Amino acid sequence: MRLTPASLGGRLFLVAAILIVAALIGAGSVTGLILYRFIQGQVDQRLDTQIAAVSSALSVTLDNHLSLNAQIEGPPFDRPGTGWYFEVFDGESRIRSASLGAAELHVPGPWPFEWLTRSAAGDSPGIGHQSLHFRTGSEIVGDHIVTIVATAPRSAIWRPLFEALSPVLIALALAGVALVLAMLVQVRFGLRPLQALRTAVAEVRAGRRERISANQPSEIAPLVDELNNLIADNAEGLARARRHVSNLAHGLKTPLASLAVALDERGRDPAGELHELIDQMDRRIRHHLGRARAAAQHGPTRAQTSLATRVTDLVAILPKIHPGKSLTVITDIAPQIAVACEAQDLDEMLGNLVDNAAKWASKRMSVSARIVGSEVTIVIEDDGPGLADDKIPEALRPGQKLDESAPGYGFGLPLTRELAELYGGGLNLGRSDLGGVKATLMLPVAC
Amino acid sequence: MRVLLVEDDRELARRIAEFLRSERCVVDIAGNGEDGQHLGETECYDAAVLDLGLPKVQGADVLRAWRAEGRNFPVLILTARDGWSEKVEGFKAGADDYLTKPFRVEELVMRLRALVRRAAGHADAHIVCGPLGFDAQLGTFELDGLPLRLTALEWRVLSCLTFRKEIVVDRIELIERVYEGDAEVDSNSLEVIVARIRRKIGRAMIETVRGRGYRLTAGKT
Repeated sequence: MRLTPASLGGRLFLVAAILIVAALIGAGSVTGLILYRFIQGQVDQRLDTQIAAVSSALSVTLDNHLSLNAQIEGPPFDRPGTGWYFEVFDGESRIRSASLGAAELHVPGPWPFEWLTRSAAGDSPGIGHQSLHFRTGSEIVGDHIVTIVATAPRSAIWRPLFEALSPVLIALALAGVALVLAMLVQVRFGLRPLQALRTAVAEVRAGRRERISANQPSEIAPLVDELNNLIADNAEGLARARRHVSNLAHGLKTPLASLAVALDERGRDPAGELHELIDQMDRRIRHHLGRARAAAQHGPTRAQTSLATRVTDLVAILPKIHPGKSLTVITDIAPQIAVACEAQDLDEMLGNLVDNAAKWASKRMSVSARIVGSEVTIVIEDDGPGLADDKIPEALRPGQKLDESAPGYGFGLPLTRELAELYGGGLNLGRSDLGGVKATLMLPVAC
Repeated sequence: MRVLLVEDDRELARRIAEFLRSERCVVDIAGNGEDGQHLGETECYDAAVLDLGLPKVQGADVLRAWRAEGRNFPVLILTARDGWSEKVEGFKAGADDYLTKPFRVEELVMRLRALVRRAAGHADAHIVCGPLGFDAQLGTFELDGLPLRLTALEWRVLSCLTFRKEIVVDRIELIERVYEGDAEVDSNSLEVIVARIRRKIGRAMIETVRGRGYRLTAGKT
């Protein structure tokens, strides 16, 4: 299992979150320590004052005993059990604060050179379960070396510490949450160009744009440049491959034509078997040429082709393709309708359909188009014999030729459908009100 | 029938020409667009077969140049380019028919004959002039319902006259359509051919218009 997140955002977020939490913990600890030292210093000062007061009130009685000659047990040293105690000890006798009563303080014994410092500090288990903080001081009174211990409850340090620290900790936690949120926003905002880049690449792939905008943050600008070069190389390679296929196909057709003519000489192919082979070769060349052309449509295209002009051109040449046929062609196409197809491919699709209709029509055919949502629906109808419903799938299947004697319902329809589908459209065949075939071609509208 | 063949593939051009000649056509070959354009502008043809991808001048440009010069003979485009865009472009440039390679040479001949017939204003393939019948699609003559046997030169002259029956066909034009461009033409040979045809179909059917040419007539006018 990998520990680092797969996303760039995740990585940035994780690192930032760890650093923010560590910084906040550090800040909290330092603040706590400073506050602790400060509060403890105050308690120590108070204890030292008490020790000094006790020390100055000490005297030796005539029978060589220590005694306090003044009332120094002011609050809080007068209330029992509070933890505020003091004790004077000269090795033999003890004087205890009123708050201590008869209990005995368990403080570490005096250090050998403790008196030099005149004071010491530390914690002791104290009385019962009470945890105590103490200060000691040494004094020479007469010929007595006395140790004075003053204690305060640990809670006298901890309680103010908690009281001071809890708002600080809450503030730090809030700051942490705010920082993490800010980090999230920053990561999302910072990575937005990457998201935009992904969308742009997808649009190039879908053919909605030709290249990625060069207006990019400096970090990804070189990447975009490389991507654009790659797209250009790809398009060029595709165009070159398409050209090669086209040249190969057309280059093969002329010798094939020579061969066909040669076969016609002096009855060299009386049964037509060799001509059938030539026809097969021609069909294959045309099929693969069509496929190569269609496959190239995955490349960037943002073509816009006016429908009415292409249909008008095609309808205009029908009398020459079908001479001697008097045909009424009704066209109903708004001049502003444009489809998002290469003109050549639109010609190929419309040419096949219009030519088929003209071939099968007896007197009338019609071509109409209207925009339905994001699609242009082009309907081509004729008044010919029509196609039986069960023959329709056959007519759209590649390699099928319904009528061998009349070329057209050959690979024209499957190729038309294939092209239309590559553009995200489609082709349906059905029965027309005119009596013949109704071909419905759907293509994306150009915007 | 005199045909101009503009095709840069020599092998294919030779074979098509050979076949067309065997079908009693007169064929001139141009191997590039420039020569083709020149021949089409200066010579007299019944039809032209034009390739699109030509050296020097593209086929479509040749065709446009011919039409701009007012040369109205029917043109059949013979090309390996089978896309509808190219077809539309070809027709818009002034073509009358479009055939893609590879093709059956019989189909080429049939289409050329149909083009020539329609260009002469005959919607029907069967042209009748008195007892003489001509199937313009098959290229066969009948006289009183019986097949008429003709030599290649006789056929060329008679088909030319039949297409323009009851109209005087110019002598020079007739010679141009009957003989290959570079053939040495004896000024008397046309008279000799016409005389032979008259013997086969009857003297009165071909009228000599002095100083101009000949006219095929059913004799009613």
